[in-house]
Amino acid sequence: MRHMWTVLALVTKEFRQVFRDRNMLRLIFLMPFLQLVILGYAVDTDVRRIHTAVYDFDRSRLSREFVRSMSAGDYFLMSTSDRSVLDLDENFQTNRFNAALVIPRDFGRNLENGNLAPASLIVDGSNANSAGIAMGYAGMIAAQFNRQAAGLAPSISIRQKLLYNSEAESVYYMVPGIVAVLLTMITVMLTSMAIVREREMGTLEQVMVTPISTPAFILGKTIPFAVLGFVEMSLALAVGILWFGIPFAGSWPLLYGLSLVYLFTTLGMGIFVSTITSTQQQAMFFAWFFIIFAIMTSGFFAPIENMPPVVQHMTYANPLRFFMRIVRGIMMKGAGVNTLYRDIAAMVLYSAAIFSLALMRFSKRHR
Amino acid sequence: MSVLEVTRLFKRYHGLTAVDGFSMAVEAGRIVAVAGPDGAGKTSLFRAACGLIDFDSGDVTVGGISVKTGMGRIKPLMGYMPQSFSLYPDLSVEENLRFYAGLFGVSGDVFASRRERLYRFSGLEPFVKRRAGNLSGGMKQKLALSCALIHQPSVLILDEPTTGVDPLSRQQFWDILMSLRRDGAAVIVATPYMDEVALADRVVFMHAGKKLAEGTPDELRRLYSGGIYRLALEPTAERMALLSGIEGVAPYRFGADVHIYVPPDMSGGELAARLADSGFGDAPVERIEAGLEDVFIQLMSGQ
Repeated sequence: MRHMWTVLALVTKEFRQVFRDRNMLRLIFLMPFLQLVILGYAVDTDVRRIHTAVYDFDRSRLSREFVRSMSAGDYFLMSTSDRSVLDLDENFQTNRFNAALVIPRDFGRNLENGNLAPASLIVDGSNANSAGIAMGYAGMIAAQFNRQAAGLAPSISIRQKLLYNSEAESVYYMVPGIVAVLLTMITVMLTSMAIVREREMGTLEQVMVTPISTPAFILGKTIPFAVLGFVEMSLALAVGILWFGIPFAGSWPLLYGLSLVYLFTTLGMGIFVSTITSTQQQAMFFAWFFIIFAIMTSGFFAPIENMPPVVQHMTYANPLRFFMRIVRGIMMKGAGVNTLYRDIAAMVLYSAAIFSLALMRFSKRHR
Repeated sequence: MSVLEVTRLFKRYHGLTAVDGFSMAVEAGRIVAVAGPDGAGKTSLFRAACGLIDFDSGDVTVGGISVKTGMGRIKPLMGYMPQSFSLYPDLSVEENLRFYAGLFGVSGDVFASRRERLYRFSGLEPFVKRRAGNLSGGMKQKLALSCALIHQPSVLILDEPTTGVDPLSRQQFWDILMSLRRDGAAVIVATPYMDEVALADRVVFMHAGKKLAEGTPDELRRLYSGGIYRLALEPTAERMALLSGIEGVAPYRFGADVHIYVPPDMSGGELAARLADSGFGDAPVERIEAGLEDVFIQLMSGQ
């Protein structure tokens, strides 16, 4: 009972301090909006409307048809170059074009005679990702055009259907990721800095001479940031759903319940960082280091499957990796415990281990 | 009966001895001043007594309970004010007080009545809404003292609470300490000001982690051997050099004057003669009582 009052005193004080620091407050509540807008719009990994210069040296009926079929989809924006020389460097460097289609003389005649009819697609490779995707599109279009030109009935046709994210919108994939990242950032950073600030100011010592118990202190110091983390997460979800119109397929209680489990990892990390640092600046840098590592190897930007095998193994050391899969699974696929149990088990283990380690280190430093 | 007892306390940091077999006892209703230069080990002694740091050997007991085993029971009895200001500058006077009250489980009417009393004591009433960071130095210290008193501790440990505080605030601060003594609290206070030391019931001189001397201010003054003469002249470098040339005496700067230590076997007339020999024949010189600072300087230099 007495402990409850001391926890309440700490929580009240902590909230007072957070709400008194206007700049911090602005940062805390603007962050989810900024991250969503920037990552939701700017980091659109979908490749569309590739500006393509056409150098048609053949000017035959077939070459014109080929160009038309290339521009049929939403993938290539074709514009015929009025120059007869290849001025690719200039075009690519000014970003006027990111690809060029070169159709040599005799393209049409070769095709009609059943000979090999080479045409070149030159793509600006400085963005390797979108270049690869553009090449893939072009290959598909060419294959289809081949069959039509040869008058062959297509032998195999693959019909593609995307499950869960049928429009292949990258924002649908990004928002759950941002939710996971925000929860991590807020809780690790604010917790570590709030504890280190007390040490820096000498107030920690003053608090330690009161009869407060270590668990009560830890609770009082973490509850406010857990609450703030949930508020951030809910803000991000609200913007994602209301503004970007992302679907939410799964269970809300499951998402929040598992987020609470994950919070023990990040709050524990925050406490741990506070025990190995003595100034807010140091805490900031350490927290930043952990967060960058966690984001990089979580599959937030780059799919883990694309990483070299060694790095793929390393990602298992990252609790955010599991939480990221859980959030995406619940939100996009409506996944439940029956399919996520492996990730959940890993996350529970990490939470228990990190939080107890942090508590042990903290108790050792402050009796 | 002693409320706080320190027995042969040793504390070392990386081979450096901060507290070197120190012992002292403090009774209820007494103010004990601990005086000593920076690095004497006062802060280490206080922090060990509050359970903030481990010590190598010896013991500290509060109300008969050892800090090594019963810190949980001791904490509600103790109030501690560290050397540096350590309240929340972004919280108001009232919020700081309320927070520490919460940590000690003081709430409701009890809190309200204690708060009123502390405000009256400290003169903080007009500033209750002001942030602690915007208070003057003296007000800050009085707020810190109020926070350390909110649970009415029976032992109060104050580490240089008045350093850098204006004389009026220092006076008010000591008025509060005097009323705490009347209420039966044991107060241990470190201070660099000898005028404050003179107000204490007992004084402990501490140097290099050891106790140099202990007693009432009067007892300590009587420890002085020899005499002190005040030479009411500005202690310029030339004068000090001339005076240092006089055999058998030790001149030293003391504020705006020069104090001359004279060994017990030298008479005033002999000093006057020697001064006259060095060209100080008509200088204003008078014998004075040794102050606590003189005693301390003598003890420290081992004369």
